[in-house]
Amino acid sequence: MNFNFLCKEPAPPNGRSVGIVGAGPSGLAAAGYLSCLGYQVTVYDKLPKPGGLMRFGIPGHRIPKDRLEQGIRRMERQFGVIFQSHTKICCSAPLFEEEGDHFCREVLGLGEIVKRHDASIICTGAWKSRKLGIPGEDLPGVYSGLEFLFPIRAAHYCVPGAQPADVTGKVVAVIGAGHSAVDVAHSALRLGAATVHHLYRRTAKEAPCGSYEIERLKALGVIWHERVTPVRILGDTQVTGVELVDAKTQESITVPADLVITAIGEIATPPFARELGIENVRKGEVRWLHMTDIENVFVAGDALTGPSKIGKAVYSGLKAARSLANWLDLKAQNRLDAYPYDDLVANDEGRRRS
Amino acid sequence: MSRKVLYVDYSKCIGCETCEYVCKFVYDVPRIQMTRTIDGVMVPIYCHHCEEPKCMRACKRGAIVRDQDGAVIHQYLLCRGCETRNCIIACPYGAMLETDKGVMITKCDLCAPRRQIGLPPACAEMCPCGAIQYVDEEELAALKTEGAELAEARILKHIRNPQGS
Repeated sequence: MNFNFLCKEPAPPNGRSVGIVGAGPSGLAAAGYLSCLGYQVTVYDKLPKPGGLMRFGIPGHRIPKDRLEQGIRRMERQFGVIFQSHTKICCSAPLFEEEGDHFCREVLGLGEIVKRHDASIICTGAWKSRKLGIPGEDLPGVYSGLEFLFPIRAAHYCVPGAQPADVTGKVVAVIGAGHSAVDVAHSALRLGAATVHHLYRRTAKEAPCGSYEIERLKALGVIWHERVTPVRILGDTQVTGVELVDAKTQESITVPADLVITAIGEIATPPFARELGIENVRKGEVRWLHMTDIENVFVAGDALTGPSKIGKAVYSGLKAARSLANWLDLKAQNRLDAYPYDDLVANDEGRRRS
Repeated sequence: MSRKVLYVDYSKCIGCETCEYVCKFVYDVPRIQMTRTIDGVMVPIYCHHCEEPKCMRACKRGAIVRDQDGAVIHQYLLCRGCETRNCIIACPYGAMLETDKGVMITKCDLCAPRRQIGLPPACAEMCPCGAIQYVDEEELAALKTEGAELAEARILKHIRNPQGS
């Protein structure tokens, strides 16, 4: 991935520095854009290596590591981007509650970042796993999609605490039918699970991952159950199974399982959501595109829109970076007043009114 | 002269939409666009810059021509969005795109303004999976692996009109 795809070589340094929080697709795209323009870019990330979920979530056979690494190396060596890994940016009290938190060695306050750079972009993504909200969800042996997938990749970076769940010879039940659920089922099989049950509340035709992927899983030996709603996770001290209700007949079914993995999506976790007024940015009630309540702090990617796809995150990162550069340019010339909010919105392709 | 083409290996594509969104960022209206097949596979539809382009033959205004790198380009000054939409109907890959802006037709030109300054197409640069390749025509055969061909056949079955009755 050439994050510097917009230019051949960096412009001469323009003397401005930008901090980017999060080295996933949106953060890296923003870093690529700004480093082309001659900005001194620093990218902070809690994980040991840049790439975000492209490196640590999506299995390696889907996104080759080398391509990602090439792009990062280019930014680092040729464009002078500084990658500060193992660093989490927090509000006043650290919130250690997401996957991948055990990696960070340094916790910086957002205030520090804001002071250190001319402007910053928050690209922290969506890391908090959605919960089913049914009894038994806290039993040992229940994992979220990310909790399960993350350590599989992370273990390659020799980090204590990142231990993939042991599925060898066990019965695994996967709940959900998005792309991460498919990845979970795949990985469970690859890691030697004896049986994989795939549970979905609707039919294969309605599955977000598509029926083609499900047929492929079935061919690999995954047992597909559709139109079943999980109502309880069974077990006293350890998971023993899942109780389901058949949506058609309303009959109760029990699927035995040693591990239950709920791949039902994530929730955006921007740090300082209230202080930054992220909700207003989502609605478009801003002074400047992608700008938060703190005037030199911008926000982009899944942190802003909620979980989506790499493409959308890249686009959002690029747009935030362009907006940031425009803002800094006009501010330096004292011309910000000449561009009222309505013009900005009208000029923004993504929101163009017909 | 060696002809440059774009090739998408659908067996490597994960449907992440990066190509479409990068194209959208560069050109406002994306010239490579995602489609979802009936069995739920997300893939980009793109111009193959064919050896004998059907769009070129269908266009009676000569608005579709080949440029110095062999890219099939659309000259919007000659096109002006004619009502026949013959080029759209003619393309077997669904790569002639109707828009709601300007001359209302757009297509991939292998990033003509970027090529002029020595940069390759943006989508190929940013594809996370290395599924999009910008290559010489001669290199195509090597890229068309069995898996890639099978995946492409599945997609083409979806985008093409059924043949015969």
